[in-house]
Amino acid sequence: MTVYELNQLTKIYDGRTVLDIPNLKIQENRIYSLLGPNGAGKTTLLNILAFLEPPSGGNIYYRSKPVRFIESELQALRRDVIMVDQFPILFTTTVLKNLEFGLKVRKISKRKRTRMIQEALDLVGMRDFALAQAHKLSGGETQRVALARALALSPQIFLCDEPTSSVDVENQAIILNILKRINQTKRMTIVFTTHDRTQAGTIADQTLVLDQGRLIEADYENIFSAVLDLNSLGEARCVIHPNISLLMASQKINTATDKVRVLIDPNQIHPFRKAGKQFPVNVLHGIVCQVMDENLKIRVVVDSGVRLTLLMTEKTYRHNQIFVGDTIKYYIPPKAIQAIE
Amino acid sequence: MDLLFDSFISALFLIFSFDAEMIFIVGVSLKVSIASTLIAGIVGVPAGFTIAFEAFPGKRMLITVLNTLLALPTVVIGLFVYTFISRRGIFGPFDLLYTQKAIIIGQVILIIPIVTVFTIAAINRIDERYRKTAMTLGANRIQTAWIIFREARFGIIAAIIAAFGRVISEVGISMMLGGNIKGFTRTMTTAMALEYDKGAFILSIALGIVLLGISFGMNMLFHFFQGRSRL
Repeated sequence: MTVYELNQLTKIYDGRTVLDIPNLKIQENRIYSLLGPNGAGKTTLLNILAFLEPPSGGNIYYRSKPVRFIESELQALRRDVIMVDQFPILFTTTVLKNLEFGLKVRKISKRKRTRMIQEALDLVGMRDFALAQAHKLSGGETQRVALARALALSPQIFLCDEPTSSVDVENQAIILNILKRINQTKRMTIVFTTHDRTQAGTIADQTLVLDQGRLIEADYENIFSAVLDLNSLGEARCVIHPNISLLMASQKINTATDKVRVLIDPNQIHPFRKAGKQFPVNVLHGIVCQVMDENLKIRVVVDSGVRLTLLMTEKTYRHNQIFVGDTIKYYIPPKAIQAIE
Repeated sequence: MDLLFDSFISALFLIFSFDAEMIFIVGVSLKVSIASTLIAGIVGVPAGFTIAFEAFPGKRMLITVLNTLLALPTVVIGLFVYTFISRRGIFGPFDLLYTQKAIIIGQVILIIPIVTVFTIAAINRIDERYRKTAMTLGANRIQTAWIIFREARFGIIAAIIAAFGRVISEVGISMMLGGNIKGFTRTMTTAMALEYDKGAFILSIALGIVLLGISFGMNMLFHFFQGRSRL
């Protein structure tokens, strides 16, 4: 079932469009990761999905009903959806009272409240901290209590703004595990933002990429700032690194500016180890720094001065025998490079 | 030097002997100051909270006016209230002039801007995320306001303490509207001014020590709550 449907949604701040989404559907019981650079509009989108701020234009449908951003109507919707901030803030009281707040406003009996609080604290491994003062907790503990505070309310939709960005590696793993577990056991729809493609790939059913407020039709992160170089033959090359100049396929390129952002489709990058294969252009080499099994594909991250992601079938992977630490060559077809704006 | 030393010793003796006149004067001062602070708190805290919490046209201008009123001299307030409560004023028939009530009215006008402006500052200092968190946890408007108020509580208490410190030590309003009548409206500050005019320093210094003691206590409380508000 579709829980959210967004149509022609825009958000404008001070005359600047920070979000422009023609169409987006979010299905029930799935985990979505929202990728994108800083300022891409990820948090703004979450705020709108959490009914905390209205869009400037367009429509939102929640469970097929149009959402009107009228305070009296929003409160009921907000009780279905909970958002946890990137840097969550806890009320200056005990952990227990923090968790109790949302349950109290829902008029849940004390006996039931106690049980729900204990369950939520158990879920995040913070039961012993119930009586601790919330403002004395560490960053990771604060993040976990904020998760527990939200989970105690058993929301149908759970929105997390960069849940792992401000915590150490140990807590990152714990938090990702919690998200995965609640999706599986409580059938909760989860949307979380992240910069980290690995995290996104680890637990998300679907990855959405936002760039400059627009959803990009891709499930990857090979987006680079580049300088365009047009030669006398009309060929366009993009320089994404002082040592990396890539030929682009002929396409409409706005020559008014030589600075662009380019997207390289990782599905179209061909690795090759064996001698004999010859490609005329766009051949790079780099050291493999990560290999991951991801949704029936193998994701290989190669450091060539910039980090590039290659997505390949298991057959291609086995054929090329790629291991972490190896130096590999790969070919980027010009048509795999696309200028965005 | 002998005059100061002798007066100081005599003043201490007066304090520790619990001189009846001095106790009465301190009592009047505390009574009017506490009453005016309470009234100003009842008016100023909700006003400050509403101004800080709500968005409305003219908000900036209102805050600027309130900030300007912080510098209002006590004699101006005294004069202003006098025109209303003197025999020829519109509240003349209530016989308020030269009563403790008159002092309280003047002091309330003096400190309402202090309580309001400091409350606005305390609320504005509260992180916007508290509002957002309360809302996403399902709180309605009143419950969200309560969370913000709760988080700003130490700053608001500090505002009230600052207001009390202002009224306990003011002299212009007490003198002009209270009239410094012995046994009725004589406060610590008006008594000190009178004793100074008479050249009798002992009671003056004794009251000065008590006033400083109260101010010191208030400041200690003020800093304690300000510190808590930055937790």
